[in-house]
Amino acid sequence: MPGPDRSPTRGRQAARERIAAKRAAEQEAERLRRRRRGQLIAGITVAVVVVAAVLVTVLVQSARTDTADAVAPANTAAGTAETGFAVGSPGAPVTVDVYEDYLCPACRAFEESTGDTLDQLVADGEVLVRYRPVAILDRFSDDAYSTRAANAAAVVADTAGADAFHAFSESLFAQQPAENGPGLTDDELIDAAAQAGAQGDDVAAAIRDLRFGDWVASATDRASRDGLTGTPRILVDGEPLEAPTAEALSAAVEAAQG
Amino acid sequence: MAPVRAPLLERGAGVLPWVGTVLRVVVGTVWVVAGSLKLPDPAAAERAVRAYQLAPEGLVPLLAFGLPVLEIAVGILLLAGVFVRPAAVVSALLLAGFIAAVSSAWARGLSIDCGCFGGGGEVDADSTAYLSEIVRDGALLVAALFLVARPRTRWALLDRAPTSRGGPDAGS
Repeated sequence: MPGPDRSPTRGRQAARERIAAKRAAEQEAERLRRRRRGQLIAGITVAVVVVAAVLVTVLVQSARTDTADAVAPANTAAGTAETGFAVGSPGAPVTVDVYEDYLCPACRAFEESTGDTLDQLVADGEVLVRYRPVAILDRFSDDAYSTRAANAAAVVADTAGADAFHAFSESLFAQQPAENGPGLTDDELIDAAAQAGAQGDDVAAAIRDLRFGDWVASATDRASRDGLTGTPRILVDGEPLEAPTAEALSAAVEAAQG
Repeated sequence: MAPVRAPLLERGAGVLPWVGTVLRVVVGTVWVVAGSLKLPDPAAAERAVRAYQLAPEGLVPLLAFGLPVLEIAVGILLLAGVFVRPAAVVSALLLAGFIAAVSSAWARGLSIDCGCFGGGGEVDADSTAYLSEIVRDGALLVAALFLVARPRTRWALLDRAPTSRGGPDAGS
C-alpha cells in the first residue's frame, strides 16, 4: 500500500524539483566552466602579447645598437680593431691602452696626474700608448657631449693623424665641461681641432654632422664587450692598472719590461 | 564564525584590500618607470648588464632589451588590477633575482651602479649604494608577496575584492 508521499501528484512534484535543481546546478557548473575558459584564454593572450613585445623590442633595440656599417676614421692603430690611436714607437717594449670618456672627471684627473709621466715614457721609447675614446656618459650631458667630443677626436685623427689627436685630447681634457650641463659647442670643438692641426670646411662639417658617430658607438660597444665598465681604464700589456696614478703606472710599466 | 570576531574581521576585510591597492599602485608604478627608463639608450642598457659580469655575452641583449619590457608589462597589469597574482609572482621572482645580482656584485667587490632605473656601470668605490638598493628591492619584494597572498583589491579592473555591501564590486 502506497504511503502518503507516494501519491502520483506529489511524486511528480518532487521529480520536477529534482530536475530543476539539477538543471540549476548544471547551469552553474557551465557558467563556472565558461568563466575559467575565458580567464584561461585571456591569460594566454596576455602571455603571448608580452612574449611578442619582448621579441619585437629585442629586435628593434638590436637594430638600434647595430653598428656593423660604421665607418672608421683613418690612422687607427694596429691591434685595436680600428678603435684606437697610437702615440709612440711601434717597437716600444710595453703597450699601454687608455680608455677615456671626454666627460669623465676621473679621466681628466688621470690626465692631470699621469699625462706627463705617460708622455715621458713615450718620449723615452719605453711605451706605445693606444688611446681609445669611448662615450659612456652621454646621459650626464645636455648635448651628448661624450659622443660629440669622441667624434671630433676621430675627425682630428682622420685628418691630421694620431699625434694631432693626442694634442686635441689634452686640450679637451684641459677645458672639460662639468657633468649634467652643456658640453663644449661644435664651434669650440672646431677651434680646438684647428689648434691641434686639423682645419678646414670638411673638418668643421664632420664635427657638426657626427661623421664618426656610429664609429664612436661601435668602439664603445667593443670596449664594453672587452670588459670596460668605467673610465679611465688603463691596461699595461693587457693587465688592468689597479689605480690610475703615476706611481702605479710607472711600477706596472717597469714590471712589464721585466 | 563567532559573533565577537565579526567586527574585527569586517574591519580587516575593509582595510586590507585598500592596503593591497596602495601596494599594487606603488609596485606597478616602480615597474613602469624603471622599465621605461631603460629603453631610450639600448647600448647603455647592455653596458649595465655587462657590468655585473654575470651573464654570458649571448644573453646580454635578451636581458638588456627584454627585461624592461617584462617590467613594463608586469607594471601595467598591477596598475590595472588584472591578473594580479601572476603579475605579483613575476614581480617577486624579478626582485629576488635583482637582489641576488646586486648582492653578488657587492660580495665580489665590484663598484657598480645597479642600473635599476637606467644608467648603470662602474661608479667610484665610495658612491656605490648596494645596501639601499637591496633594502629598496626587499621592500618591493614584501609588497609583491603581499599581493601574491591577497591579489584582490579595490579599484581593480578584474581582481576586485568583494565589498561587504555588495554592489558593483561584489563577487567578480
